Amino acid sequence: MEKKSLWEFGTRQVVYGAIGAALYGAFSLLTNLVPLPAAGNITFRPAVAILIFFGVAYGPWVGLLAGFIGNTLGDSLAGWGFYWNWSLGNGIMGMIPGLAMLMIQDYKDKMDIAKAIGWGVAGIAVGILFSSLTEMFVGGIDLNTALVGYFTPAFIGNLVVTVILLPILMIAFAAVNARRGR
Amino acid sequence: MLVSWKYRPRNTIIQRLDPRSRLIFLACVILGITIPNIWDIRLIFPLFLITVGLYLLARIEWKDVRRTWLFIFILIFFIVGLNGLLSGRGGPTSVMQDTSAPLFSIPLFIPGTTWGFVLKITIVRVFFAMTQIMRMLSMAILAIPIPYTMDPNIYGITFRRMGVSDKVSFTMDLAFRFLPTLARDLSITIDAQRARGYEMDSLKGGIVARLRRLAPLIVPVTMQSTVTGEEVIDAMDLRAFGTAPRTWIRALSFAPRDYIFMGLGLAIFITFLVFKFVFGVGEFWVPPEALAWANG
Repeated sequence: MEKKSLWEFGTRQVVYGAIGAALYGAFSLLTNLVPLPAAGNITFRPAVAILIFFGVAYGPWVGLLAGFIGNTLGDSLAGWGFYWNWSLGNGIMGMIPGLAMLMIQDYKDKMDIAKAIGWGVAGIAVGILFSSLTEMFVGGIDLNTALVGYFTPAFIGNLVVTVILLPILMIAFAAVNARRGR
Repeated sequence: MLVSWKYRPRNTIIQRLDPRSRLIFLACVILGITIPNIWDIRLIFPLFLITVGLYLLARIEWKDVRRTWLFIFILIFFIVGLNGLLSGRGGPTSVMQDTSAPLFSIPLFIPGTTWGFVLKITIVRVFFAMTQIMRMLSMAILAIPIPYTMDPNIYGITFRRMGVSDKVSFTMDLAFRFLPTLARDLSITIDAQRARGYEMDSLKGGIVARLRRLAPLIVPVTMQSTVTGEEVIDAMDLRAFGTAPRTWIRALSFAPRDYIFMGLGLAIFITFLVFKFVFGVGEFWVPPEALAWANG
């Protein structure tokens, strides 16, 4: 069996990066009208679970591309325009869980699911913190607004989504892989 | 509800532009607004008029964009605009720290209790909501026509010729191609699940139950796309993708109109930088007369 490499960037990464981006964009469009309470212009995005899943399943490059391109697509088509700092933050949010790709052996094993959630939460924390703090320069907000108005609600919203939906996606993926014999 | 789009060739000046010049112009406008952090309506309004003019030049049929505009109007006017008007959120700190006299107040208390607050609408927030709407629309209006007026077959070559690597360019190209397909799959899945009695909009249960209710949509579409991905990878590997520098069928070349268009974008970017960092103009601005009138 071919050995997986964390930082390989070949056909698999190109294709799944594109599919992850399109899925993230499509599902984000579906929920881009649901704002988070207490936040600035931040929406509730169950699609974040898909982004984390693509990172965990296919590695950091796929997570980065899916997050960056997917957020750009979803925002542009919904009329938000293009915010480079939020797109990059979403990319980071997908890339960090990708670092756990080689640690995940069995997608239905509880420990492996817990590891994926842990890395996913780390990715959300770093990605959203990056976007929230850069919003101080892009949007002119102060540190308090960045942390309380942007980071906290977005982090909690994405955390809840990841904890609930990521295990469901991983277990379904294990079943699909078993059926495909891969 | 998903918004999908349809590219159609139109004989317009916008479609005759090189796609790179359109993306560079878009980048100049977005960076011009965001890097110097422009919130002054005196600068944003002329830009807004330019973007509206460019949108009209694209001559996109109303029937094609009707749903997109409905979506954008709800988002920008009812969510972003009202959010700005009522709370001042999403903007510079000066709006949040507004101490101007209220134009009118709305008491919002739970009946029979003293729990609640008085919502104050001030002239600062009215101007902020207008500025915020115009600021967002200026960026959105430039982005909206792209999927309708840019041939999906040239996304890859466009990014490649802008210096992005072959593989990343192809990822972007594929993502744009996959999006309508996956959006259609999602739409079909929603219909199929509804036919089985699935209620996506049901308000029953807490946040956990409502999120779990998304699984019948997210899981089939995501898993099907992972299977499709393997087939695409096999097809690309059979064609030796990535083993040598890629060639692209379409060739792009700049015409004089592209240089003019990019020059306009660059001029907007530089003008905003100069206004902000040389003249100190660009912060959130309310006409002093309006402030004086509101403060009596």
